[in-house]
Amino acid sequence: MASINESTVTGNDGEAWNEAYDRTLNFLHTFALSDHAYVSQLAVDLIHEARELHRQDPSRDPTTLVMSHLQNRLTEWLAANLDGENRLRSHLLAIGTIALLLSRVYQTAPTSFLASPPPEELRQALRETLLVTGPDLNVSSMTPRHLDYGPMLQFARQTWHRLDVKELAIALVFWAGVYTVFYWWLSQLL
Amino acid sequence: MNATTPHTDDFVVRRSVFLGLSILLTATGFVLMLNSYSGQTLFWEDYVCIGVFPLLFSQIAVGFILALFGFFDRLRGGDPHHLMRRPWREKEDSIPLAATAIVVPVYNEEVDRVSKGIANMWRSLEKTGQLEHFDFYICSDSTDADHWVEEECAWLSLCQTLNAFGNIFYRKRRHRINGKSGNVADFCRRWGKRYRYMIVLDADSIMTGPTLVRLVRAMEANPEAGIIQTQPYSVLGQSLFRRVLQFSGKVYGGLFSQGCSMAQMSSGSYWGHNAIIRVAPFIEYCDLPLLPVPDPGKRHVLSHDTVEAALMRRAGYGVWIAYAEPGSYEEGPPNLSDMLTRDRRWCAGNLQHFWFLFAREIEMGSRLQIWIGLMAYLCSPLWLIFLITGSFGAYFRMRFLMLSADPEDLGAATSTGAGLLLALTLALLFIPRLLGILTTLPRARQFGGTFRLLISAFLENLLSFFLAPVLMMFHTLFVLLTISGWQIKWNTQNRADKGLTFTHCLALYGWLSCLGLIVYPIAAFYLGNISLWLLPIVAGWILAPLLAWVTSGRRLGMLFRSWGLFVTPEEVEPPPELQGLDGDTDGEEPATPSPLWVQALLSPYVQAVHLSMVRQGPANGAAIPSRSLVTLRERLILEGPQALNPKEKLRLLWNGETVFWLHQELWSRPGTKLHPGWIQLQADCGKSRLLSHYLMEK
Repeated sequence: MASINESTVTGNDGEAWNEAYDRTLNFLHTFALSDHAYVSQLAVDLIHEARELHRQDPSRDPTTLVMSHLQNRLTEWLAANLDGENRLRSHLLAIGTIALLLSRVYQTAPTSFLASPPPEELRQALRETLLVTGPDLNVSSMTPRHLDYGPMLQFARQTWHRLDVKELAIALVFWAGVYTVFYWWLSQLL
Repeated sequence: MNATTPHTDDFVVRRSVFLGLSILLTATGFVLMLNSYSGQTLFWEDYVCIGVFPLLFSQIAVGFILALFGFFDRLRGGDPHHLMRRPWREKEDSIPLAATAIVVPVYNEEVDRVSKGIANMWRSLEKTGQLEHFDFYICSDSTDADHWVEEECAWLSLCQTLNAFGNIFYRKRRHRINGKSGNVADFCRRWGKRYRYMIVLDADSIMTGPTLVRLVRAMEANPEAGIIQTQPYSVLGQSLFRRVLQFSGKVYGGLFSQGCSMAQMSSGSYWGHNAIIRVAPFIEYCDLPLLPVPDPGKRHVLSHDTVEAALMRRAGYGVWIAYAEPGSYEEGPPNLSDMLTRDRRWCAGNLQHFWFLFAREIEMGSRLQIWIGLMAYLCSPLWLIFLITGSFGAYFRMRFLMLSADPEDLGAATSTGAGLLLALTLALLFIPRLLGILTTLPRARQFGGTFRLLISAFLENLLSFFLAPVLMMFHTLFVLLTISGWQIKWNTQNRADKGLTFTHCLALYGWLSCLGLIVYPIAAFYLGNISLWLLPIVAGWILAPLLAWVTSGRRLGMLFRSWGLFVTPEEVEPPPELQGLDGDTDGEEPATPSPLWVQALLSPYVQAVHLSMVRQGPANGAAIPSRSLVTLRERLILEGPQALNPKEKLRLLWNGETVFWLHQELWSRPGTKLHPGWIQLQADCGKSRLLSHYLMEK
């Protein structure tokens, strides 16, 4: 990855700006703009702008500074294109980015990305994109109807909820008796 | 009751013939069974056998009668009273369609396969010219963050590619209440009023446009119909196991469905997918009641379809099987292990249906369905008990005869009753299969030709023969686990023919081999020649690991296909709706190792799609994250995405503000304040599969 303006930055400062450049380039790549030269140029321009800002406030980290600057540029650019100055920033970025994606700006007009002023056709295309995520709710009440489980429920309730050792023992003795009688009867029969 | 389902006199005759013949055959078997004991001394083991036998034999008898009904119906050219053959078919094209939702519940499924299936159905509907009446709803219950984010991108891709914004919708449930039935109910509560019908699919279901349209018209023409279930045929199999399953389903499955439809008419089955449902009565009458068990965690009905069909019948609407409608497909389990995973789930569900067997106001036909479903799994432990007690009984009898050395007793042991019973059992088991083959013979060309069809059928029978004892043991285990109260986890069905490792097969089925190797020598020692009866069962156990391993492989399945064996019509002439769905991964790049969900935090496009789907905070941005959420966010940034467990990932993704905040932070923090893994993820973000495969125009 190329470093920038080696003659003016040195040591740790140089590494920090290299990192800032790499980060900017990686971030711009996520927009999948088809004009790679434009992306590189944009990254260099953004770094230059960030260096100007850095001179005014040297305490800020170059990566943080350039990315903050880039996000601001992107927000302003989208707001201008979508007439969305009053929207919450996260809403605006989400709507704007979706509009960028659906209008295929990354492929059809990559050099208009962050360009000021943007071409009128682009503004039109961005405004026309509409994401329908779901139809309006039409709420129904769906609740289970009463179902009488019949004799098994009575039987289950009697065995589950009132189970005690004495009753269990009586039941076991009773059924052992029934099986014995049944065994004897079948033996006689067959 | 809002609708009435007309029952003809014919219906009464059919049902009485069905029940009468089933009872007659069972009684015949029982008499032969008793006859085989005549003149012999009985032991307690014999009484157990005698007690269990009618239950087991009745299942064979019912299967035989259903196949016989199906065969008869095919011979006469179909049921003239069936809903799909009524006069409306003559003016079918003039029947206007009503608004219909196609509901696709998904749960950690293979996203690409699901979206391709939806795209194929969409295009098929488009060709019918009736697309305007249909909307698709992808209702996700996925618990895996990667799946969730991929589903969102796939949804956008579908809308973009098909120009389907406003017709294909994606909904992710936050709380996965009541599994699939809860997911469908959630759709009904939110959007059910917008539609007169819904067609419920499984994630792997495919239905052709003409079939979808015909189902809506059938409902429009028959207002008393509540559910019409199509017969989905298993397709796209590549492993030997799946190809054998789809072959048997095609040769025998239709016959049983046709028989079932003839016997049951408007009290037919609903299998939970590939069926059209009248939404209003479904909302009003078919919400599942809670089971009356003490543990609140176990009150939910696991297997919803049979109960919903019973409730629909209870409300007076008909449930029909459209057995003859083509264009309804699904994918089966690719190997024995996956089939057992599915069976474990079904077993737990079917056993719960016991509660509805004796519930009041449930129709007789529904009770029959519930009973058949119950016995499908209860038969296994009963069969095992029969085998064990039968073997012990035989041993004691042999000892008794040897000790008594009475010639009359020895003569009694060779009773002809046993031989007749064996002949009858084999006839009831194999005649349905023969009938299936007979009805397939006129279409043998679609199955690779007569010779190959017969060879395939023979091999399929052989495989079933060896697998049956394996299934018996596992089903017995499932029944015991269910009764003992072990929770059944609802796993995603694996549909990829990836094959099983031999180690896995040994670990899962090795105990059966050991059991077989121990049991048979003991049986041979004590029972002598009688132990030969156990040989087929023991052979199945011993071969289980090998069978599971060999049949799971794709290579062998495709080899058999190249030989023209287990061929189905959908393989000979694949319908356009199935094209591109075969999951052939040859030549494709391997799946990206980086987690997909982090793209919702890094990629602006993926993040934007995600944020448009989850609720974001108030417009003034004043939402304050909880302390635990703040800690979680910092942990993600400093320890990397692998530091979070699945629930934590979902928690972050559900919070729109957090997703946005993390996006800003991950890109703007210097490398020293990030986990090193993030730097590589940032560098790879522009090459993410989500972008190249779904979001970027190809």
